[in-house]
Amino acid sequence: MKPFMHGLRWLVFLLAAFTMNFPVIVTLVTSLKSKAELSINPSLLIKAPSLSNYQQIFNMADRFDIFSILWNSIIASLIGAFLPLLVCLPAAYAIARLGFARSWLLPIVVNLRAIPLVIFAIPLYMLFQVTHLLDTRLGLGLILTLVNLPLTLVLLVNAIAEIPKDLDEAARIDGASTRHILRHVVFPLAWPSIATCLVFGFITAWNEYLFGLILTTRRAVPMTVGASFFFSASGGGVQWGVAAAVMILGTFIPSLLGIVMYRRISESLTSGAIKG
Amino acid sequence: MRRTVMCVLAFLLFAASQAQVTVLGWPGGPEETALRAVAEMYNAQAVDSDKVELIFFNRDGFFDKLQADLAAGTQEFDINLLATYAIGRYAPYMQTIELPDSGAFSNKVLATMQYEGKQYGIPTDLSLHFMYYRQDLIDQLLSDEAWKAKYAEISQEYMGTALEPKDPDSWTWDDYAATALFFTQSINSDSPTRYGTVLQMKNLLFNMMIWHSTARSYGGNWMDDAGNITVDSDAFRKGLELYKMLYDAGASPKDSLSYEYAEANAAFGSGQAATMLQWNAAAAELSNAEQNPVVADVVGTVAPPTGPEGRYTHIHGLGLGLNANAKNPEGAKKFLNWLANADAIKAYAIAGGSPALEANLLEEIGTERPDLIKLGNFAGSYGFVMNGGTAEKALSVYELQAKEFTGYWAGNESIDEALANVAAGMTELLK
Amino acid sequence: MTLVKLREKILLVSPLLIFLGIFLLFPFIVNILYSLSDVDFKTLRNINISGVQNYIKVWKDPDFWQAMRFSLKFALFAASLECILGLFLAIFLSPLLKKRSWLLAILMMPMMVAPSLMGLMYRLVLHEFVGPVPFYLWEWFGNSPAFLGGKNLFYTLSVIEVLQWTPFALLLFYVAYVGIPESIVEAAHIDGAGRLKLLQFISLPLIFPALLVGFVVRFIDSFRVFDNVFVLTRGGAGGSSKACLFIFTNIFFNSAK
Repeated sequence: MKPFMHGLRWLVFLLAAFTMNFPVIVTLVTSLKSKAELSINPSLLIKAPSLSNYQQIFNMADRFDIFSILWNSIIASLIGAFLPLLVCLPAAYAIARLGFARSWLLPIVVNLRAIPLVIFAIPLYMLFQVTHLLDTRLGLGLILTLVNLPLTLVLLVNAIAEIPKDLDEAARIDGASTRHILRHVVFPLAWPSIATCLVFGFITAWNEYLFGLILTTRRAVPMTVGASFFFSASGGGVQWGVAAAVMILGTFIPSLLGIVMYRRISESLTSGAIKG
Repeated sequence: MRRTVMCVLAFLLFAASQAQVTVLGWPGGPEETALRAVAEMYNAQAVDSDKVELIFFNRDGFFDKLQADLAAGTQEFDINLLATYAIGRYAPYMQTIELPDSGAFSNKVLATMQYEGKQYGIPTDLSLHFMYYRQDLIDQLLSDEAWKAKYAEISQEYMGTALEPKDPDSWTWDDYAATALFFTQSINSDSPTRYGTVLQMKNLLFNMMIWHSTARSYGGNWMDDAGNITVDSDAFRKGLELYKMLYDAGASPKDSLSYEYAEANAAFGSGQAATMLQWNAAAAELSNAEQNPVVADVVGTVAPPTGPEGRYTHIHGLGLGLNANAKNPEGAKKFLNWLANADAIKAYAIAGGSPALEANLLEEIGTERPDLIKLGNFAGSYGFVMNGGTAEKALSVYELQAKEFTGYWAGNESIDEALANVAAGMTELLK
Repeated sequence: MTLVKLREKILLVSPLLIFLGIFLLFPFIVNILYSLSDVDFKTLRNINISGVQNYIKVWKDPDFWQAMRFSLKFALFAASLECILGLFLAIFLSPLLKKRSWLLAILMMPMMVAPSLMGLMYRLVLHEFVGPVPFYLWEWFGNSPAFLGGKNLFYTLSVIEVLQWTPFALLLFYVAYVGIPESIVEAAHIDGAGRLKLLQFISLPLIFPALLVGFVVRFIDSFRVFDNVFVLTRGGAGGSSKACLFIFTNIFFNSAK
C-alpha cells in the first residue's frame, strides 16, 4: 500500500507539473523548430532542433531590438522593486512601531491591491505627458512602484512588528535617531523580508502588461508588450517560431528568479495573502 | 555578435541616434521593409540635418495610441502613418502637404490620402483582397468527372441548386461557397483538404474590411447619398449569412472566430484549406517555398468573386503624412517630396512596398513586381470605399461592426439584433 | 514612545503620502471630474462639468452589464476550481513536498510567467495548424473542438486561468496544512481518528481561514482579468469574453467614440 501511494503521488505530481507548465513547454519546443518544420510538424517532438529562431531575433536588432526591450524591462522592474521599498520602509516603521497612521494608511494601501489601477490610466497618461514621462523607463517604473506598494507595505509592517522591541528601544534610549535605527537596526533585521519584497516586486513588475501597453510606444517598451508586437506584427510572415523564441526570452528572467528564490516567493505570497 | 554588443553598448550609453527627421511607419509587414530600404537610400544622399530615423510601434492599438499621441501634441515623430479609414480622425492634428507633380500617382490614388479635398499624405501602399486558391485542386475539380458529380450533389444539398465547377476568375459567391463546401472533409470525405476555406471572424476591425467585399458585391453600402444608414439591407444579410452558413457547415476551421491574418495564413499554408479570401500582402509569403513548402507552388490568386451587383474589393491606402507639431517640418517635407518622386517610389515598390502607380511606372518595374500590375488593375476595376469610410469615426464603425457581426456568426445574437445594433450605432457615429 | 515627536512621525510616512498623492489622489480626483463631464481626447484638459449623465449611460449600457456578468462568472468559476484543485494537490502531495521542497519550485513556475505572455502562448498551443493540442486531438480522435469560439470560449479561458493560478492556491494551502501543529494530529491519532476523519474534523477546519483567503484573493484577481483574455480574444465574438477591465481600457483606447 505504501509504495503504491507513493507512486501515485509522484504520478499526480508529474501530471500536475506537466499540465500547468504545458504552454511553456510547448513554446520552448516551438522555439526550437525551424520555419519549414513548423508548417508541417505541430507535435511535441522536434525532428531537427535548431536555434535559427533565436538567431533571427538577434539578427533583426534594427527592427526589433530585443536587448533594448529586455533592458527596458530590467530597468523599469528594478525601479518598480526598489522604489516601493524606499517609500514604504519608513512608513512601515511608523505604522508598526509607533502605531502611527495604522488605522487609515495601511487599509488604503492594502486595498489598492483589489482595485484595477488601470482606471487611472487617463489621468496618469496626462500627468506623464506634462512631465515628459511618457515612454520612459522611469515613468513605467513609477507606475510599477504603485502596483507593488500594497504587498511591500504589508510585508514590511509584518517584518518590523516581528523584530523584538527591546532592540530598537535600547538604541533609542542610547540616543540614536530614527534614521539611525532604520538603517542599523531595522534594515538588517528585516533583511529577509526586504529581499522577498525585492524579488517578488521585480517579478510582478516584469509581468505587468496593461500600463506598458498604454504608457510606452517605443523607447521604453517592456518585454510583455514587445512580445505581442511579434504576434500582431506578423504581416511579414507568420513567424510562430520567432514569436515563441521571444516569449521564452521574456519568461526566462522571472522564471529563473522564481526557481532560485522560490522559498522567498512562496513566503511573500502566503504572508501577503494571509496577513494582508 | 559584434553588432549585438554594439547595440547593448549603445543602450547603456543612452546614445539616441542623431537623426533629424523621425518617421513613424506601419510595423511588421512589407511596408516596413520597403520604408527601411528607401530611408537608407535617402540618408545616403541627404545632409546630416535632414537624415531620417524610422520608428515603429506595436500594431495592437496602433491607431488609438497614435491618436492619443497626436492629440497630445507629441513631438516624438515628424512624419506618421496615415490610413484611408483614419484620415478624418487624424486630420485635426496634421498639416496638409503639397506633393510635387511627379506623375507617379493618379488622382484616384491621391484621393485615398485626402480629407475634405485636402492632401494629407503621400499614398505609399494600397491594400486590397485576393481570392487565394489551390491551383492543383481546382485543376482536378475542373477535370475529374467523379469530383464534378460530387460537387453538384453537395451544392444541391446545401444551396438548393446543382452547380458545375468553374474557373476561380469567374466565380460568383455561390461558386465560392460550393467549392468551399466541396473541399471540406466533414462534408466530402474524399476531400484532400480538411477545410474548403478559411474565414477570418475574430472580433477585429480589419476582418470587417475583408468581409465588406462580399457585402458590396451584393449591393451593400454604409450609407446612401443622402446620409441614411443602409446596413440593414438584403445585401448585408446575404453577406453575413454566407459566412455563417460556411462556418456552421464546418467549411472553415472551428476556431475561425479567433482567426486573423496570421492564423488564416497558417491554415492555408499547412495545406489544409482550399481557398481563402485574404489581403494581397499574403501573396509573397504564401508562394515562398521556404516558409510554406506545402502550398508555395500551387497558390493561385484572383480578384474576389462576383456578386449580383458586380465584383468588388475593399481598398484602403496607407500613407505618410506630416504631424502638425513636428519638430522639423521642413526636413520632413523634404523627405516626403523626395519619396513622391518617380525614382524613389519605384525603389519603394521594388523593396516590397505596394504603391498603386501609374501604368508607365508599373511597366518599368514589371519584371520585379508583376503582382503590382494585378494590384493596380484590381484597384482600378473593382476597388471601392464604403460611403462614410473615411469619416472621423470610421474606425469606430468598423469596430462596432466587428463586435456585432462576430456576435451573429458565433450564434450569440440574431442577424436582426446585430444589424439593428449596428444601424443604431452607426447613426450615432456618422451623424 | 513619546520620544518620537509627531513631526518625525509625519516625516516618516511622508514619502509614501507624497507618492500616493501624486499617483493615486490626483488621478482619482481627475477621474471623478471626468466622470461628471463631457469629455473626449480633444478636450482632455478643459473639463466641462455636465452632471451625472455618464453614470446613467454606463448603467444603461448593455455592454457594461455583459462585461460584469462575464467577470463575475469567470471569477467565481476560476477561483472555485483553483481552490478545489489546489486543496487536493496540497494535501495529496504534501508527503512528497515535505521531503523535497524544491518540487514546489516546479509547481510554482506558471506563476512566474506574465499572464499576457501566457495568453500568447495559448494562441500557439491551441492553433489548429501550429499547436500541439489540436494536433494530438486530430491524431488520436480525428477531431478537435473550437477552443476559442462559441460556448467553449468561456471554459477555455477559465481553464487557462486555472492552470496558471492553481499553484497559488496550492502553495497557500500547503503552507497552512503543514503548519498544523504535530501535537494536534498526534492527539487525534491516539484518539483513534482515521485519515478521513482527521481531514474532516481537524485539518480542514484548521486551514479554513487559508481557504477563505485563497478564494477571495483569487476571486479578486480573476475578476479583473485582462492581459491573457485581451491578447487571446480581444473581447471575443460579439464581445462575449469582454471582462470588466475592457470597459475601462475601452474608455482609454476608444474615447473618440
